[in-house]
Amino acid sequence: MIKLMRLEWKKLKQKSVIGEVIVYPLIIMFLPIFFIEVLNYDFGQSYAAVIELNFFIQMGFILFGASLINQVFIDEYKNKTISLSFSYPFSRKKLFAAKILFIAMFVFLLTMASYLLTGIVTYFYDQVHSIINGDPTFSDIITFFSQMIFRSLMITLISFIPLFYLGVWKRATVPTVIVAIVTMQSSYLSSMLNLNFNLVLVVLCLLGSLSIFLSIVTAEKTGEI
Amino acid sequence: MEYIVQMNRLTKKIKEKELISDISIHIKKGEIYGLLGSNGAGKTTILKMLTGITRPTKGEILILNKRLAEQTKSVLARVGSIIEYPVFFEHLTAFENLKLHCEYLGFFDEHEMKQALQLVNLKGIEEKTVKDFSLGMKQRLGIARAIITKPELIVLDEPTNGLDPIGIKDMRHLIGMLNKEYGMTFVISSHILGELEQIVDRVGVIHHGKLLNEITLADIRNERSDYIELVVTDVKQAVYLLENDLNLSNMKIIQDRKIRIYDTAFTPNEISKTLILHDIEIEEIKKHSNSLEDYFYQQINGGNGDD
Repeated sequence: MIKLMRLEWKKLKQKSVIGEVIVYPLIIMFLPIFFIEVLNYDFGQSYAAVIELNFFIQMGFILFGASLINQVFIDEYKNKTISLSFSYPFSRKKLFAAKILFIAMFVFLLTMASYLLTGIVTYFYDQVHSIINGDPTFSDIITFFSQMIFRSLMITLISFIPLFYLGVWKRATVPTVIVAIVTMQSSYLSSMLNLNFNLVLVVLCLLGSLSIFLSIVTAEKTGEI
Repeated sequence: MEYIVQMNRLTKKIKEKELISDISIHIKKGEIYGLLGSNGAGKTTILKMLTGITRPTKGEILILNKRLAEQTKSVLARVGSIIEYPVFFEHLTAFENLKLHCEYLGFFDEHEMKQALQLVNLKGIEEKTVKDFSLGMKQRLGIARAIITKPELIVLDEPTNGLDPIGIKDMRHLIGMLNKEYGMTFVISSHILGELEQIVDRVGVIHHGKLLNEITLADIRNERSDYIELVVTDVKQAVYLLENDLNLSNMKIIQDRKIRIYDTAFTPNEISKTLILHDIEIEEIKKHSNSLEDYFYQQINGGNGDD
């Protein structure tokens, strides 16, 4: 499986992916500062509030997940290179599982790295310009690191929502990106529709998991060229 | 009899449309088997099923006596193929594409990769990205990829597409060499019947998703019935002369002005001489030998291919 995941990386347009890997965290790491300094000082009322804000910002990686779905799944169908993969001695389920694990690992690790980077940049900026009330407590630090892992996992799962229907089945690039953008806005949409955001997150994670499950289980049928 | 491929009662349906209907083909080890059929006959679908790209709706495929199914695709490690047209990761170089293929098959031998490129006459292009290749170069690279691991079975769908005449000749030699020296079995589809005729041992004719017939090239040659075909202005007078002056009886009027003589006792020269002496104008006269092409048209059109 690891070999198949490594080969997925080799097939990618690596320069473009590396570009995304640099650009996403580079933009995202300054966003908490931007939100506090430019949009609303209330975002900096405490470190707990900034940790929460960081999560909403890191949801941008759902879009990165959509970009990988496009490259790893949809482009392979569009360029017909998927037929090459199907002619190798691996079942479609295994090939799809490797692709999904590759995307999941990439999104998860990058989100974690970005979480950490954003936290560090915001902390040091605060030390110089004092934009957040108070200092981070031990409990804030524990919350930050546990959420970094837990919420990166949530973002990874949510990023798979378009995989089954739009990626494997319909093979539609633009709708995949649109779904990712809408999902990224889930916190804003939840408050607008007066929904419990935590509940919305659980539902989105379940949808992502279902999408992964269906993609692998039905790989032979929906994956047909 | 040792069969390398056994396709038993294969049927492929897509959205209730039957693309392939109950086809059984058995291919012997070391054989070069040709699939003949017009566009849309179902050749590519058969080859896709044979290479695991698509699954049959019914029936089974055995390669080297192992059933090919989603969970038992390991036998595909012993199959090389090009289906439809050679597909590559266009942003990668030729060498990277070959390396990727080898890694999927758990095989890596740089010497073999270079040798495969040499066999298809592609040299000095290893580091060029495939997107800059012509169709002919891609076809050659596709063949190189298919043969790199020296598989026991090679499946080629229209392998001469995009190749120039020299490339086609090279391809023919390469297939012959690999078949003889390495004992590789080939399944080849092509619409260039003349090319296929020079390399295949046996052909299967596919029409509207059905296998019409299978025949060896040796049988076609044995069944060969040569004939002379002539186009004249006055058919009645010509037939009269042929019957009375040359005592020919085995002939057939094909069209208003076309006569086909199956009796080969006289050469076209002798026939034309007789007709000209009696002022019969000859527009065309030529000798035909039954070829794979004739056989194909007979099968497809029930013997009325060019009538």
